[in-house]
Amino acid sequence: MEVSFSKEIGQLRLKEGEVFHGEGILAITKALLQSGVAYVGGYQGAPVSHLLDVMVQARPYLDELGVHVEACSNEASAAAMLGASIHYPLRGAVTWKSIVGTNVASDALSNLSSPGVKGGALIVVGEDYGEGASVIQERTHAYALKSTMCLLDPRPHLPQMVKMVEHGFRLSEASNMPAILELRIRACHVRGSFVAADNRPPPVSTRQLMEDPAKFDYMRLAHPPVTFRHEKLKSEERIPAARQYIVDNGLNELMPGEHDDLGIIVQGGLYNALIRSLQQCGLANAFGESKIPLLVLNVTYPLVPEQVAQFCAGKRAVLVVEEGQPDYIEQEIAAHLRRRDLQTKLHGKDLLPLGGEYTVEVLSQGLAHFASSYLPGEGPEEAKRWLAGNQQRRQSAAALLDQPLPARPPSFCVGCPERPVFAALKLAQEKMGPVHVAADIGCHAFGTFEPFSMGHSILGYGMSLASRAGVSPMMQRRTLAIMGDGGFWHNGLLTGVQSAVFNGDDAVLLIFKNGYTSATGTQEIISTPAEDAKFGAGDKSQSVVHTNRTIESTLQGLGVKWMRTVHTYHVDEMRRTILDAFTSDFNGLKVIVAEGECQLERQRRIKPWIASLLKKGQRVMRVKYGVDEDVCTGDHACIRLSGCPTLTLKDNPDPLKVDPVATVVDGCVGCGLCGANAHAATLCPSFYRAEVVQNPKWHERLLHSLRGAVMRALQPA
Amino acid sequence: MKATPITLLVCALGGEGGGVLTEWLVEAARLAGFPAQATSIPGVAQRTGATTYYIELFPVLQSQLCGRQPVFSLSPVPGALDALVSSELLETARQIGNGMTSPERTRVLTSSARLLTTQERMQMSDGRRDPAELLKLVRAFSREHQVFDMNAVARECGTVVSAVLLGAIAGSGLFPIERRFYEEAVRGGVPHEKANASAQASLRGFAKAFEIVSQRQTQADFVSQVLKAQAMDSRLRGNDAGADGNDGRATALSVIPAEAGIHGFPPPVREFASLGYVRLADYQGRSYADLYTRRLRQVLDAETAADPQAANGHAITRETARWLALWMAFDDIVRVADLKSRASRHDRVLREVKAGEDDLVKVFDHFKPGVPEFAALLPSSLAQKLVAWDRRRIAAGKEPWAMPLKIGTHTAAGMLALRTLAAMKALRPRGSRFAFEQKMIERWLDGVVQGTKRGWALGHEVAHCGRLIKGYGATNERGKDNLLHVLDHLAVLPETEAATHAIAEARAAALADDAGQALDATLVRHGAPKREPKPQPIRFMRRPVPRESMDERRA
Repeated sequence: MEVSFSKEIGQLRLKEGEVFHGEGILAITKALLQSGVAYVGGYQGAPVSHLLDVMVQARPYLDELGVHVEACSNEASAAAMLGASIHYPLRGAVTWKSIVGTNVASDALSNLSSPGVKGGALIVVGEDYGEGASVIQERTHAYALKSTMCLLDPRPHLPQMVKMVEHGFRLSEASNMPAILELRIRACHVRGSFVAADNRPPPVSTRQLMEDPAKFDYMRLAHPPVTFRHEKLKSEERIPAARQYIVDNGLNELMPGEHDDLGIIVQGGLYNALIRSLQQCGLANAFGESKIPLLVLNVTYPLVPEQVAQFCAGKRAVLVVEEGQPDYIEQEIAAHLRRRDLQTKLHGKDLLPLGGEYTVEVLSQGLAHFASSYLPGEGPEEAKRWLAGNQQRRQSAAALLDQPLPARPPSFCVGCPERPVFAALKLAQEKMGPVHVAADIGCHAFGTFEPFSMGHSILGYGMSLASRAGVSPMMQRRTLAIMGDGGFWHNGLLTGVQSAVFNGDDAVLLIFKNGYTSATGTQEIISTPAEDAKFGAGDKSQSVVHTNRTIESTLQGLGVKWMRTVHTYHVDEMRRTILDAFTSDFNGLKVIVAEGECQLERQRRIKPWIASLLKKGQRVMRVKYGVDEDVCTGDHACIRLSGCPTLTLKDNPDPLKVDPVATVVDGCVGCGLCGANAHAATLCPSFYRAEVVQNPKWHERLLHSLRGAVMRALQPA
Repeated sequence: MKATPITLLVCALGGEGGGVLTEWLVEAARLAGFPAQATSIPGVAQRTGATTYYIELFPVLQSQLCGRQPVFSLSPVPGALDALVSSELLETARQIGNGMTSPERTRVLTSSARLLTTQERMQMSDGRRDPAELLKLVRAFSREHQVFDMNAVARECGTVVSAVLLGAIAGSGLFPIERRFYEEAVRGGVPHEKANASAQASLRGFAKAFEIVSQRQTQADFVSQVLKAQAMDSRLRGNDAGADGNDGRATALSVIPAEAGIHGFPPPVREFASLGYVRLADYQGRSYADLYTRRLRQVLDAETAADPQAANGHAITRETARWLALWMAFDDIVRVADLKSRASRHDRVLREVKAGEDDLVKVFDHFKPGVPEFAALLPSSLAQKLVAWDRRRIAAGKEPWAMPLKIGTHTAAGMLALRTLAAMKALRPRGSRFAFEQKMIERWLDGVVQGTKRGWALGHEVAHCGRLIKGYGATNERGKDNLLHVLDHLAVLPETEAATHAIAEARAAALADDAGQALDATLVRHGAPKREPKPQPIRFMRRPVPRESMDERRA
């Protein structure tokens, strides 16, 4: 990771009374240190990558505090790390992207929750739900329910979020339950402020080591017969203790309102959307003072039945605002009301959609309905007019367009070394026919978008090879599994490679060896090139991933017999290698290592290097590709083989031709794919490669001027 | 207190610095003493995807709120935006289409710049969205709007577009924040003279955009510009038979000798006819250009017979003039070598790569001529032998023969090679491809003439099919096959109207995908057979060893 977080690390050092300004996720990071966390782990993924990235870069400072930080190999290893809190009074925090990360971690989480924890265990999950999400739309809530973990869903207001971190640890300790703190995407990226407190060095730490291990205690093992006792403890002791703590410390917020006979129960994370929605209905002011009383659940599991009942008692109706499905909270509230024979009408998913993000507009539809039923007045009517106006505008806007606007999904970066492999794969399939492609999570998943549109399934991170195990025995042709090095180390090595080798499967695996887990923000992994390889190289613009051969040696050690390493920019060679793999007489696992360093990381190295050379007046060569506009056919086959953002279109300067010509715009990093594709695919001969030499040597200058004279003599106008 | 937050939605593309922009905005608000909040969803935006940022500011000084805190929304509320600011026109339109802006309330500040989506770029013809269409949305759904090229401003100031967006927001006066606070936020608390180079560049971009927006420049200019570009674009699409083409292209006419007979063509045809004549004279000499006018004359005669009043403005002849010229000047290695070795081309490359005065520029050209390219220049009998040899190679499982070349056009040897190849122009008319192309051209022209005789509209459609011919190698062959198929099967449909309709549909379908699936579907729908599948050497790659024998081996 070459991104520098020095500014953020400065924020982590803030002292009592100083004001923190920044993003939500960084506030949480600071709050962990203020809470005396002793160890931190996790696996990167939006929207919580920053937590771990900043912690990893802040290692020297954390060493001063005695806090241990670990970049775990996957979420399972992060969750297992919390095992330290089972016996010892250590506060631990781990983080990942949910729901996917929680899925991976769930085995360890079950085994952690059963014996319970002594030190506070906090799991900070990025609830990747709604607009901008990149994963399956499921709720983390289910995991809290099934394993009996506390679930915190703080109001997205920095001081409140920070407070809930401290309470999260204490709640965990009071109840022996691990606690999950869920943050939605916008909450992670919300910019705000809070007044900092001093960081607390943990009492037991890497600087204050424990003398002895804990005494043997069978009760702390997730093993029968004590697991039966654990289950009883959950309902008899832990949940009641948690409820007690929640009430005693006022974690859920009661906000009064003039219409006492109504109420709204809302997940903390949805508070701001609800307030804006109430404002739209004329039921709240700018400061969030609502006319309808609110119960804001900063802890959504466990609920406190007495608190809920007390809130509902005597009210005509209560609306539960709970995002996503199923409606766990609403169902539980319904049960509590029924048991206490409270006749308060319960609304929720009857007025609000079962699934999908609760944006202000979505919420307002349900709320306007609720309000106009119980509080007829001008406010809800105005809201309804506003909502109808939105619909009408959308329709008339659509009517103004000939056809829907094209989508703009993310794509490979300019100069990404993975793009050429998809070009080669497209060309190879022209030769051998279409193949089943088991895709995976990572930047290479952009290959599922245009212009490549490749990939039949994505079953999880590192799961591609495993996911073709049922397909390949059923198909005449071989199948292809694609995996990044991130996915390989996260899961693919064991679930995929080991299984395929053990079963003697006839399969083809293509591993993108770009040196980092790039899609999550280019974090380093075990196969990342070493620092001296990166900075020792004379030409810093070269890929250096070949210097780390951990993947190759691991595969060899595992018994993989057929393995080829190809530089991704050699499109022709890559195509040949793919064809070889699909036609080889060898019937076991065939692995193609597609080698080419992540362009983002390379650029971070190249830019300062070039700048320093130029500053010293030294020779620098930059490469840019171009298209001859009078030779370009206007067929755009080159774009269908590349999709590079800098290979785009411009009006045809030829008045006789109508189709736009291809053009290479500024931003081209001269990766060479255009030229390699032109050769491999026999594209039209319109591409040229220009090498611009700044500060040339004297003999270069001389040669160039001689050449220039010859050229001028030969060239027509 | 009755005040409500001021709301702003910013659209940008991943990698444009939107994150920094929100940081600046929140910091500027803080420096000015106003409560503010910003959020974003950058997750999916990575790597050039569409993304948005959302900012709310409460227009009462924190100091006057007596410790009370406004509650801000984390997501934009459709119809409740005070401003939409966007670095890309299509993204502006997307948010408007989502119902975000309100014609009563929202001010729209958008860049006119387009960063084409992959979907637009990858089409075989022109998949670009019409900017006028997008602009119509901006006009219809904004209280007021300002449009200027933010990317150009960023380029001019040597900065990224986020600084320009900030300048536009500041210049619009949307927030009650003084200019100095924005600038202080950009400098990051450093005094003016100590700000680093990138902050200085950001400040330049900021200032320029501030000026443009605060003084309300460019909007009228831009709109008229778009409309003008629109007219030109539409002419390029061949939509306006009446355009006079009086913008420098008329000069082509002046260099053509009177005996070429271009003046004999009606005015709407003359522009393309003269351009075509000049091109063909350059391509193969005057007599070849004269062949062009003779061919065109034939079509004009047929059209005049079908439409004596010229009610359609000689559109058939005009279209034919365009496509005939392009087809007759078909691209081959001689032509490419010629184009690539001209001095004007060298100058263009220097401009495109933005080389400095003292920089050396080396230019390498990628060629990969195969057997067909060489056979094209040989007489038919020799060409056939060469092609047969290549077919045998392919049948034996080898790659078709080709010569991948990377020629240094800046070197004496490279230039000499290209000029030598260009000098082989004289050999071209004796080559097999020349003869074949002429035969195909005659078939198409005959189709135009016969079609015109049956009905003007049919002739017009067949003339338009000239668009299917373009490019080199496989692309060119595919185009010719498609055209031939249309002529053989659709142009001959007994009912003229049905034939006209079928050809129009088939032409659009032929440009829909490389594989021609859409074309085949259209052909079948109109009762014509699908195109013959092309023989492909190794189509199916079967698993080499059947399952049983694998098990045996393992056993």
